[in-house]
Amino acid sequence: MIPVQYNIRSLMVRKVTTAATAGGIALVVFVFAAALMLGEGINRAFGSSGRQDVAVVLRNGSDSELSSGINNDLVNLLKGQPGVSPDRAGEGGVPAVPGVIGEVVVVVSAEIDDGSGGTTNVLIRGMPAGGMAFRPEAKIVSGRAPAPGSNEVVVGKSITGRFKGISPGQSFDLRRNRPLQVVGVFEANGSAYESEVWGDLDVIRTSLGRSAGVSSVRVRLASNGQFSAFKSAVEADKQLGMKATRESDYFRKQSEQTSGFLVGLGIGVAILFSLAAMIGAAITMNGAVANRSKEIGTLRALGFSRLSILISFVLEAIALALIGGVIGTALVMLLASVEVSVLNFQTFSQVVLSFRPTAAVVVTALVFSGVMGLVGGLFPAIRASRVSPVEAMRA
Amino acid sequence: MTTGSIEAGEAKEAKSEGGAASKAGAAAKEKGDGKGKADAGGPSIVTLRKISRSFQRGRETIQVLDGLDLEVPAGSFEALMGPSGSGKSTLLNIIAGLDRPTTGDAEVAGSNLSRMSDGELAKWRSQNIGFIFQSFNLIPVLTAAQNVELPLLLTHLSSDERKKRVATALRVVGLEDRMEHYPRQLSGGQEQRVAIARAIVNDPKIIVADEPTGDLDRKSADDVLTLMERLNKEFHKTIFMVTHDPAAAERASVQRRLDKGALQ
Repeated sequence: MIPVQYNIRSLMVRKVTTAATAGGIALVVFVFAAALMLGEGINRAFGSSGRQDVAVVLRNGSDSELSSGINNDLVNLLKGQPGVSPDRAGEGGVPAVPGVIGEVVVVVSAEIDDGSGGTTNVLIRGMPAGGMAFRPEAKIVSGRAPAPGSNEVVVGKSITGRFKGISPGQSFDLRRNRPLQVVGVFEANGSAYESEVWGDLDVIRTSLGRSAGVSSVRVRLASNGQFSAFKSAVEADKQLGMKATRESDYFRKQSEQTSGFLVGLGIGVAILFSLAAMIGAAITMNGAVANRSKEIGTLRALGFSRLSILISFVLEAIALALIGGVIGTALVMLLASVEVSVLNFQTFSQVVLSFRPTAAVVVTALVFSGVMGLVGGLFPAIRASRVSPVEAMRA
Repeated sequence: MTTGSIEAGEAKEAKSEGGAASKAGAAAKEKGDGKGKADAGGPSIVTLRKISRSFQRGRETIQVLDGLDLEVPAGSFEALMGPSGSGKSTLLNIIAGLDRPTTGDAEVAGSNLSRMSDGELAKWRSQNIGFIFQSFNLIPVLTAAQNVELPLLLTHLSSDERKKRVATALRVVGLEDRMEHYPRQLSGGQEQRVAIARAIVNDPKIIVADEPTGDLDRKSADDVLTLMERLNKEFHKTIFMVTHDPAAAERASVQRRLDKGALQ
């Protein structure tokens, strides 16, 4: 085989063209990897929001908690369904964990605290006592938990400070003259819950005049495997008129539209860019083949086969693309500290997402750059392999 | 002969410098008349029978070689002269297995090249032919040692064995102290000597040289020709050289002249 140093040094000798082509590929890889990182961020926000052993119960015909409504008396009926975990009494400082909780979910308009004067929706979740204990991943990270039965709320880590009045020590109106006081900040393992505001169920639904019911019911199952039995029982009971979904599936479904749109857009743009980058790589490699026809002819004359010339130039194109890939992947890591606020199409409320770098993103981005090199470099490499050894004899 | 024989030749020369030269002295004095069978003594290593080569340029067919016969004895040092466009390079390309005749048979180093595929020809070249080009054709991004090593990459030799052979070849051309130099750091004469080291490192049966002194000053040209003479006499390499330079042709044991596609 032709030594790899031949290709690497040939790239180094042509500094300007190598840098220009690698720069173009780096840009494409940056966009591509950014889209993947956002996808990972969305997966984490929504994917980690749900538990396998929790079922979300909505009214039949509703796709989200916002559009669902369930009467209070039906909530209690769910406690007797098969597979439901009984309430766990608190003892020794461990809070009580209810088996079934009904929650009300609404969105309020909030002014974005960036001086633009723009407004957006923020999701408010009213939960009964034990609502936080129901979600063991949720923890207060500053301030304190709201006092039960009060107008106090805690705000998710992702959105604190982003909206006017929605920060510890501040207050905002749920409705006119119905202020909610922010007393703390919580985190919930990077999930979409961190883009919500949590308060007392009764205070919130009374303020909204919706005391007769809740938006959704969450049911803690005795085990993951109990879900099917629970779902069958609930959905078979026409009197209930409800449907059950695993909480993890519920959030995944919630994220599908947002995720599909954002990641699809990012990858679409990256693929469009990649066409230009592949053409760039092809032009660079074509130039290299034209300039080096005598070298190639010499290698052929010495006895190197067409295949080894082909492989050598394909490897050179892949190496060129990988230089760009490594640069693009390194640069995209800078986005790891960036958070973006996007609209969740299902709830029409803001969700704060982060770009999450993972090993899979890095590997995929590098493979993507390598594929660009392979595709862009293939035809020039075929051309190189067709150079006649007689070229070596040309003075 | 193997590269080991180059090493053996080297050792022999160290013991008695005059020995090898005097052994090949008789052949050096034999100057062919440029026609028909050459008289270097050995069996033919190149046998061309009724070789024709034509090229198509648009609708026009250009006949470069026309029914040419040639025999080159093993161990000879032949120079081929002739005006530009006479077909010298085409003939050289056919002997070296870079090109195939349109008609006729080319038997070189025991193989009929006319019937070989591209891949077979490439393999055959790597085992039988050493090339010396007018403009040296070193790979600019590889060091002298890496350039010389290139033909060995097509063999199954170990890295250590390759390095040993590269060092021997560079010692034969007197450039063992320039192994890590890049071509741009060498003079023209030195570049051509590295190219000669590359041509002999695989211990080929035949060395083909296309205007080997064309890009060199007189002094460097003399050095290169002296080296080629030594390869012929001392290491018994068959050398077939195309040249315009009468002084270079004078160093060969046989001089041939090609004009309008036929040997004169």
